[in-house]
Amino acid sequence: MNAFASFGLWAQRNRWIWAAIGVLILWLILSVVTNRFSLSSLSGVILSASFLTVVGIGQMFVVTTGRGNIDLSVASVITLSAFVALLTIKGQDANLAIGIFAAVLLGLAVGALNSLLVVGLGIPAIIATLATGYVLATATLLSNKAIPGFAVSPALKELATGRISGVPIMAAIAILGVAATSFVLRYTVFGQLLSAVGQNRAAARLAGIRNGPVVASAFIISSVLASLDGLLLGAYIGGAFLEMGQPYLLQSIAAVVLGGTLIFGGSATALGTLFASILLILIVTTMQIIGLPPGAQDIVQGIVVIFVLALAGRQAMARRTSADLADGDKDSEATTKVPAATVQPR
Amino acid sequence: MSHIAVAVQGTAAAPAGPSVVSLSGITKSFGPTLANAGIDLSVRAGEVIGLVGGNGAGKSTLMRILCGAMWPTLGAISFASEEVPFAAYDTGEAQRRGIRMVHQELSLCANLSVAENFFLETPGDSASRPGWRALYRTRARAALDAVFPGNGIDADAEVGHLTIAERQMVEIARAAATPGVKLIVLDEPTSSLDLDRSKQLRAFIRGRAKAGLAFIFISHKLQEIIDIATEVVVLRNGRMAWQGHASDASIGKLVQLMGGDADPIHQHSVAAASSQDVLVRLSGALTAELGRDVDIVRGEIVGLAGLEGSGQKELLHAIFKPDRKQQATVARHADAGFIAGDRQKEGVFPLWSVLGNISIGALARRSALGVVSEHANSDTAKGAASKLRLDDKRFPSNITELSGGNQQKALVARALVADTPIILLDDPTRGVDIATKQDFYRLCNEIARGGRALIWHTTEDAELLACDRVLVFSGGHIVNELAGGAITEQAIVGASFAQPAVSQSNADSERTAMAGLGRKLVNAAPFIGLAAVLAIMIAINPAVASTFGLDLLLMPALSLVLVTAAQMFIVGGSEIDLGVGAFAGLVSVISATLLYDQPWLGALALVAALAAYAGLGGVIQARKIPAIVVTLGASFIWVGIGYALQPTPGGASPDWLTTLFGWSIGFMPTSIIMIAAVALIVLVIDRLPLGVVLRGFGNNPAAMIRSGWSPTRYALVRYLIAGLFAGAAGLSLTAINTASDINSGNSFTLLSVAAVVMGGCSLLGGIISPVGAVAGAVTLSLIGALLGTLSVSSDYNAATQGLILIALLTLRSLTADRRSES
Repeated sequence: MNAFASFGLWAQRNRWIWAAIGVLILWLILSVVTNRFSLSSLSGVILSASFLTVVGIGQMFVVTTGRGNIDLSVASVITLSAFVALLTIKGQDANLAIGIFAAVLLGLAVGALNSLLVVGLGIPAIIATLATGYVLATATLLSNKAIPGFAVSPALKELATGRISGVPIMAAIAILGVAATSFVLRYTVFGQLLSAVGQNRAAARLAGIRNGPVVASAFIISSVLASLDGLLLGAYIGGAFLEMGQPYLLQSIAAVVLGGTLIFGGSATALGTLFASILLILIVTTMQIIGLPPGAQDIVQGIVVIFVLALAGRQAMARRTSADLADGDKDSEATTKVPAATVQPR
Repeated sequence: MSHIAVAVQGTAAAPAGPSVVSLSGITKSFGPTLANAGIDLSVRAGEVIGLVGGNGAGKSTLMRILCGAMWPTLGAISFASEEVPFAAYDTGEAQRRGIRMVHQELSLCANLSVAENFFLETPGDSASRPGWRALYRTRARAALDAVFPGNGIDADAEVGHLTIAERQMVEIARAAATPGVKLIVLDEPTSSLDLDRSKQLRAFIRGRAKAGLAFIFISHKLQEIIDIATEVVVLRNGRMAWQGHASDASIGKLVQLMGGDADPIHQHSVAAASSQDVLVRLSGALTAELGRDVDIVRGEIVGLAGLEGSGQKELLHAIFKPDRKQQATVARHADAGFIAGDRQKEGVFPLWSVLGNISIGALARRSALGVVSEHANSDTAKGAASKLRLDDKRFPSNITELSGGNQQKALVARALVADTPIILLDDPTRGVDIATKQDFYRLCNEIARGGRALIWHTTEDAELLACDRVLVFSGGHIVNELAGGAITEQAIVGASFAQPAVSQSNADSERTAMAGLGRKLVNAAPFIGLAAVLAIMIAINPAVASTFGLDLLLMPALSLVLVTAAQMFIVGGSEIDLGVGAFAGLVSVISATLLYDQPWLGALALVAALAAYAGLGGVIQARKIPAIVVTLGASFIWVGIGYALQPTPGGASPDWLTTLFGWSIGFMPTSIIMIAAVALIVLVIDRLPLGVVLRGFGNNPAAMIRSGWSPTRYALVRYLIAGLFAGAAGLSLTAINTASDINSGNSFTLLSVAAVVMGGCSLLGGIISPVGAVAGAVTLSLIGALLGTLSVSSDYNAATQGLILIALLTLRSLTADRRSES
C-alpha cells in the first residue's frame, strides 16, 4: 500500500510512465494473442513511431507555451517538405546537403511566419497556423507538378529505413532527439523559461522574461522538426503524395497529450511523447491485426484523444483549485464559492 | 449646501421601517488575516447606510458576504428576524430575497444593447413572444428616466459604445428597476458620474427610501455620504470603527475615524541620496500638477498612494516596461524587478517548487542557452531565503502548498536573486498576516538601506508609513508628495480624499472613435469583396449575370453558408469547432446511405449524431477542456464513422431531399433565396431571447453566471444549434451532389472560420453577424470560380483563401485596441 502510494507520487512527477505502461501491456497482449509478435516486430513499430515522435516533439514545444496554442500547420509542412526534398535532391546523394538545407530553410520560414502572426499580430495560434497550412497546401500542389520523379537519394533512404545491428537508424535518431529535448527542457535556461511562460504569462513577464521570443522559438522548433520529418518520411515511403502529412496532425497532438504534457501548457515530457507515439502506432497496428476497417481506426484515435483530455482536464482543474485554496487573496474570487454550482439555473 | 441637505433628509428618515436584513458577528479570515472582525450591521426599510473606510478596511468583503458571493468564517445573517444558514445562502438566494448590488467593476455585457441587459437581469416574463424587446426597451427607458431624468441614453445602444458614466447609469437603473428589490448596494456609484448625475442619483435614492427601499451607499466622496445617508458606518482594519447618525458626522470626523494613530512600522531614516544615484525620473504630464519632476534614488522607499485605480498600478507597469509613448514621462536608468500582490494571477508558477519559483528571477536575466544547475540555484536562493526567514527545507515543496505569506516571501526572494537596483512592489502584502507583514516591512527597510530603490503601491494606507516618501495620485497624475514626518495616515487619507476625482479624459473616446472607423471599414470588407468578385466575373463573362448563371455559381456556396452559420454560433461562444466540416460530411453520408435505404433508421442515426454533437459542447464546458482539440478529435470520429458507413463515395439522394433543394420559382435564382433564408434564420435566432443569452455568454460569462444563467445548459444549446446548421449543410451536400463523400465537408472547416472572421465576428466571442458572415462565405466559395475566370490554376485556391484570412486577421488586429501583449 505504501509502495503504491509512493509510486503514485512518483508517477505524478513522471507522467510519461503511463504511456510506457500502456505500450508494455499492449505489446504483451499482442505477443500472447498473436504468438508472432516479437521484439523485432516491436522495433518495426518503433521505426514507424519515430516519424511521429519527431513531429510530436515539435508540437510539444508549441503546446507547452500555453494558452491552448497548437501548431496546425505541421501536416502541411511535412507534405511540402517531402516534395521539396524530391525537387532539390533529385535522387542524388550529391544533392543531399542542399536538400537538408532546403528543409531547414522551409521550417525556419514557416516557423517565422507563424511566430509573426501569433506573437507579432496576436492572432490566435490555431487560426494563424491553419491559415499558414492553407498557403502551404498551394505550394505543395505546385511542387507536385514540378517534381522530376520519385527517386530518393540512397543515403537518405538508408537513414530512414536502414538498420544497424537490428536497430532502425531512424529510431536511434528519434531517441537521441528525445534525449536532447529532455536535456533542453530540464537543464537549460530556455527550458525553464518555456515552462514559466506556459504556466503563467503575466507572472513570466513580471519576472523579467521576454515572452515573445520564447513563444516564437517554440513555433520555429515545431516547423523545423516537421520539415525534417517530412524529408525523412518521404525517403521512408519512397516519394511523396498529397495529404501524406495529414494523419500526423491529430496524432502529433494525441502523442503530446497522451504522453503527459499538459494541454494547458507549462509542463512537457519528451519521453512521454516518445512512448505515446509508440503506443498510438501500436494501437493502429493492433486494429490492423484485428482487422478493423480504416474508419474504425479513426474513431478509436478520436475517442482516445477526447477521453485523455477529459481526464487531464479534471486533473488540471483539481490542481488549479488546490492552488487557489492554498492562498487567501483578499480580492481573489478563488476563496468564494463557485457561483456556477450554487446559482439556480434559469 | 450639504448642510441644508442634511437637514432635509433628517426629517425624511424619521420613521425607521422594519428590518430588511441584518448581519451579526461577521468575521472573515483569510488564513491568519482578518478581513472582517465581529461586524454587526442591520438594515431597515427606508434607511440609507453610508459605508466608508480606507483601502483594505473590509468594505468589499462585508458586501460580498451580504450578497452571497462569499461565506464568512463566523457570523449569521437574518431576514426579517428569520435566520438563514449561510450554507443555503448564495448570490441567487440573495437576489430572491431582494438584494441587488451595483458592482464597481461593471457587470454588463458590453456586446448587448441596454434593453437586452435589462432582460438578462429579469428575464421572467418575456417568454419568446414577438415584441419582447419593446417591453424591455420601455422598461429600460422608464428605469433610466426615473433615476436620471434627461439622460439621453438610447435603450437600443450597444453598452460597449456607451461612456463609462452611461454604463454606470444603466447598471444603477437596472438594479433599481428590479421587481421585488428591497435593498440596493451601490459600490462607488458616483465615481464616474458628474455632479448633476450624482445629484439626480441622490434625489432618486431619497425618493425611493421614503417609499421603503433600503440602500447601502459606499463612497470615497465623504460629502456625498453625509448628504445622502441616514446612518453612517465606518470600517477600519476590518472592524466597526463607528456607527451613528449622519447628522452626527462631519468630513473631518470621518477622516479621523478612518485614519488613526501612528503605527510602529514607521521607520524613516534620511536617505543618503545624491543626484548621481537617480534610478527613476518622473516628469511631464504625470507630474504637471505637482509642478516639478520626481526623482527616485538609491536607498529609498517610495510609496504610491491615492484611491484605488488612480494611476498607481499604471505607473508601476510603466516603470517596469517603459512604453514608447510614456518614455517622455517615465525614465528608468537601471534594471527593475517586480513583486506582484496578486500572486495567483501575476506571481507564482503553480507547477513549480519553491526553489523553481525563486530561481526564475535570476534565470530570466541569463542567456537562454545557458545550462541550469539545481545546485547553484539552491545556493543562490538560500542566501536570499535566509534574509527572509524562509526555511530552505521548504524549497522542494510545491509553491501552492505554502501559505500566502510564505509565497510572498518566495516572490521577494525571486526579486532578490534577480539582483535589480529597482524593486517594484504591487500591493505585496495582500492576504498576508500581520506578523509576516511586520517582517516584511523590516525587510523592505533593509533592502532599501542596502542601496536599492523600492517603489511600493499599496491598497492599505497604513503601510505607507513604512515609506520614506509618498506620492499621492489622483486621476492618473501625481498631485501631492509627502515626505518624512509629514507622512501620517491622516495626511494620506486627507490628500487622497481632498482631490476632486478627475473625470475620464476625452482622448479615450476619440481614440475609440478612430478605431471604430477602422473597424467599420474592415467590417465592410466582405461586401466590398463580394461585389468586387461578382463584378470581375460578370465583366469577363456576362452570362454570369443571368438567373441560371448565378444559380450555377452560388448553389455550391449554400453548403458553406450553412457550415458558416454553424461555426458562427460556436465562435460566438469564443470557441472554434475544427470538426464542423467533417460533421457535415458525416450527415451527408448518412443521408445518402442509411436515410435512402431505411428512412427510419437513417432519421434515428441523424438524431443520434446531432445528440453526440451537442453533447460534445456540454463536455467541453463541463470539463473546461480546450474546444479546439476536442473538436479536432471529434472530426476523426465523424470521418471514421463516415468511412465505416461508406468506404468510397457513392450513395444516392432521397427524392424528397433533392426536391427540397431543387425547386425553382423562375425569376429569382433558388440559391440566392436559400442563402438569404439561412441568413434570416440566423438573424431571427440571434434576435430571440435565446440568442441574446448566447451572446451574453460569449462576452461576459462571469456576469451571466452572476445573473443566474447556467453555462452548461447554454453550451449544450449552442452546440445543438450549430449541429442543426451543420446537419443542414450535410443534407445540402447530398442533395446538390446527388451522392455523398465523407471528405466533401472537410474543406469547409477552415473556410467557415475564415468566413466568420470576414463577416465581422470576433474570435473572442459574443458577436453574431449573419449578413457579413454569409457574404464572406459566398465570397470565399467564389474564389475558385474567380480564379477559373481569370484562368489562374485552381492550385492557387487554397493559398488565396489562406492569404485572405491572414490579411483580414492582420487588419483586424491592427484596428482593434491592442490587448496587453502576452
